[in-house]
Amino acid sequence: MADLIPILSYVTFFLCFAVIFAVMALGLNLQWGFTGLFNVGVAGFVAVGAYTSAILTAPPYPDSLGGFGLPVAAGWVGAMIMSGLVALVVGVAALRLRHDYLAITTFGVAVTLQLVALNARWLTGGPFGLQFIPKPFQDLLGTGLAWNMAYLAMSLAVLGLVYVALERLVKSPFGRVLRAIREDETAAEALGKRAFSFRLQSFVIGCMVMGLGGALYAHFVGYIAPEDFLPILTFQIWTMLIVGGSGNNRGAIAGALAVWLLWSLSGTVLRQIIPQSEQARGAALQIVLIGVILAAMLIWRPRGLVGEVIGTPAGKDEKGNTGKKA
Amino acid sequence: MLQLIADGLIVGSVISLGAIGVTMTYSILRFANFAHGELLTWGAYLALTFLGFFVALGGAGPMQPIGPFSFGWPLLAALAAAALMTALLALLVDWLLFERLRAHGTAIVLVIASFGAALAMRNLLQFIYGTLPDYYSREIQIAIRLVPRDVMGGMRITPDQLFVLALTAVTVVLLHLFLTYTTLGKAMRATAHNPALARLTGIDVRAVIRAAWIIGAVLAAIAGVFSGLTVQIRPGLGFDLLLPLFAAAILGGIGSVYGAVAGGLIVGLAESLSVPLFGAEYRAATAFLVLIAILLVRPTGLFGERS
Amino acid sequence: MIALCCTDIVAGYEPGLPIVRGASISVRQAEIFAILGPNGSGKSTLVKAVAGLVPILSGKVMLGDEDITAVPAHRMIGRGLAFVPQTENIFANLTVADNIDLAASIMKVDKRRRLPEIYDLFPDLARQKSLVAGRLSGGQRQMLACARALVTSPRVLMLDEPSAGLSPRLVGVVFDNLRQVRATGVTIVLVEQNVKAALALADRATVLVEGKDRITGPSGELASDAEIAALYFGHGGAGKAA
Ligand SMILES: Nc1ncnc2c1ncn2[C@@H]1O[C@H](COP(=O)(O)OP(=O)(O)OP(=O)(O)O)[C@@H](O)[C@H]1O
Ligand SMILES: [Mg+2]
Repeated sequence: MADLIPILSYVTFFLCFAVIFAVMALGLNLQWGFTGLFNVGVAGFVAVGAYTSAILTAPPYPDSLGGFGLPVAAGWVGAMIMSGLVALVVGVAALRLRHDYLAITTFGVAVTLQLVALNARWLTGGPFGLQFIPKPFQDLLGTGLAWNMAYLAMSLAVLGLVYVALERLVKSPFGRVLRAIREDETAAEALGKRAFSFRLQSFVIGCMVMGLGGALYAHFVGYIAPEDFLPILTFQIWTMLIVGGSGNNRGAIAGALAVWLLWSLSGTVLRQIIPQSEQARGAALQIVLIGVILAAMLIWRPRGLVGEVIGTPAGKDEKGNTGKKA
Repeated sequence: MLQLIADGLIVGSVISLGAIGVTMTYSILRFANFAHGELLTWGAYLALTFLGFFVALGGAGPMQPIGPFSFGWPLLAALAAAALMTALLALLVDWLLFERLRAHGTAIVLVIASFGAALAMRNLLQFIYGTLPDYYSREIQIAIRLVPRDVMGGMRITPDQLFVLALTAVTVVLLHLFLTYTTLGKAMRATAHNPALARLTGIDVRAVIRAAWIIGAVLAAIAGVFSGLTVQIRPGLGFDLLLPLFAAAILGGIGSVYGAVAGGLIVGLAESLSVPLFGAEYRAATAFLVLIAILLVRPTGLFGERS
Repeated sequence: MIALCCTDIVAGYEPGLPIVRGASISVRQAEIFAILGPNGSGKSTLVKAVAGLVPILSGKVMLGDEDITAVPAHRMIGRGLAFVPQTENIFANLTVADNIDLAASIMKVDKRRRLPEIYDLFPDLARQKSLVAGRLSGGQRQMLACARALVTSPRVLMLDEPSAGLSPRLVGVVFDNLRQVRATGVTIVLVEQNVKAALALADRATVLVEGKDRITGPSGELASDAEIAALYFGHGGAGKAA
């Protein structure tokens, strides 16, 4: 019985991360899966959410802005608002242009935000990041398994809410317009300015969800640093979405679970077989592995494990849900 | 002030060479290749490996520098060999990945794939070479004073830096002659303009794509070695240059080689001149500001033909 | 003799969605053959499929006695089939001379002999060799597109709506050029909206409806055929046909 506790601990810990990643993947799915917007700055928007929530909720920091000691829920809402605002600025600049410009711009945003996280000590604490981020209900539950399980339940509830909200959104007339924009460039052009506004809304909402994911992450781990939001995070979320099947919210969740499982397993295996001195190389190999999986999925199973359920017109099956035409 | 301009031009020439490759693959393959930066890194590291090999081949002892430079013939030979290998690497990645995705015909999927390829390539490199920075030569170079200190702060430049500037200029001129006067060069411009019409004209688009990869990769390897020579060799070398490369290519106008060169120099200068304004730590964000500015003001770029 | 023979062509842009559904045409040596039909009937798709730009799902294309069904687009010109698309049919970023030279260099044509012939046929172009092609007027663009296609001396020249967007006077000039080209022994296949002008130019024509050839015959007969009129009026193509 006593042996079960560490296993249960590990499983809870693992699932918590999976659920947090799933939230981020849902945000990306709204953008890419349903609207065909290519966001390479996922890590940046997640970082905005994480830092915002930390600054709002933590006890006062001696050498940087905040923390304001607000309730965690306020932090989460603030995280969504800040990520949404950044997305608004980026979207206005880049969404009118051809879609790879959005990719490049969001990439630039992530790089710039990474620099800010590293260097703006007054705001982000610099390379050491922010600590003492409150863990909700910790005074009640302590720091052990009980708290982890409670946080897992909370994250699951958030995931459920986000899922239901997004499902309703994409099944609404709004969602149908988004898919029309994604599928058909001419339909999008016919909508003209309205298409831009639809794209912008989808982009902002998606980024808000990513920001919420960042906040969930910050309060689970308790401290954040710039290195938590490197491009590799963007890459992981993308792989989760592609593996699960973009254009399908359940796919995004399944993909998050599958890729996180694979990532954790491959990490464990590599740590076992690679000597201590070569651990850095092992980590590099892990990323190569995930890169190869992403590429293989794109080539052989572009619809992902689950694939798109709604809005796939018969006869377009072969092309799958890979978005707009070249 | 003059010193900042000189520094900016040197960084700018590295960016220019890289941006030519970006703009070329963008206009012919029609996607933004996020893996292009990794070609610079691989070029720099492959040259390091070949350098070791050639130095060992030429007998024990460090390489004999040529004239005032910090490097000798082995580095030039290594540069050539690395450029060749980088071209093969680009063709290999295209064959393994991009060619298969092109068949499905969705350009944006290629961008995702290139993003994955970039991380895989960089980490493979880290796996092979480790993460510590390296140098081609430990020779200390004496900077030449070109402008005395009392004229706008003066300007000093090392022979290696002059070499980089000169070879960049030569490369760009050669590329210009190639694109303007050879059949393959014209075929490449034609394909960039209209691939379907190019096929009707008898151009084998696959051959043109191969040529674009080879030229892009060779220039990337040169840029990578130059960056290694003037700064240092690191696994993040190319990835950190990616944003400046894109900014330069878009600033110049996608598809325009001269635009990419001008864009590269402008981004290099902007980076260098921003240092006294925002501090060295935000230098890398300058390219982003340039990018946003050009997207808002003139998204077709300075020399762009198409939107 | 038959220069180009297409049998039961089925072709389309996406699998399972054929646009051309079993079209057959057969074009005689050195004749001018027009493909007519209402908007969206698949005329452009048919000629693009023959040229190798759109996948042929079934059917057979014979150029003389060679089967060219599966030949990729960039090899067609080597087999003697040239195609001028309706729009974007010149390289606007190259000079006039480079537009013409490029095909000649790739196909290793004897330029010293062939280029003067081409410039004789299109004297307007000879005067503007070093101009960037994007600066040409509409009519001159169409000529350049023809010149580009003809420089390799194809046996069959296909054109998609060469008269589109041109003034009636320019249409006359372009069609005169086509007559001259035919006089050199080249077989011409053209898609046209401009029914009257096309029937006046062509020796024979076919009417394509919903991806199938409905009626084929000598131009004179088709011009007086009531069914054609019905097809056009029936599909609202009358405006352009007039
Ligand atoms: N690139 C394409 N991808 C998918 N469908 C296409 C494409 N081009 C044309 N179509 C479809 O094929 C059908 C036939 O088009 P096509 O251009 O062959 O007709 P057409 O007879 O040339 O008409 P028009 O007289 O207007 O030129 C149309 O329904 C059109 O929507
Ligand atoms: Mg047509």
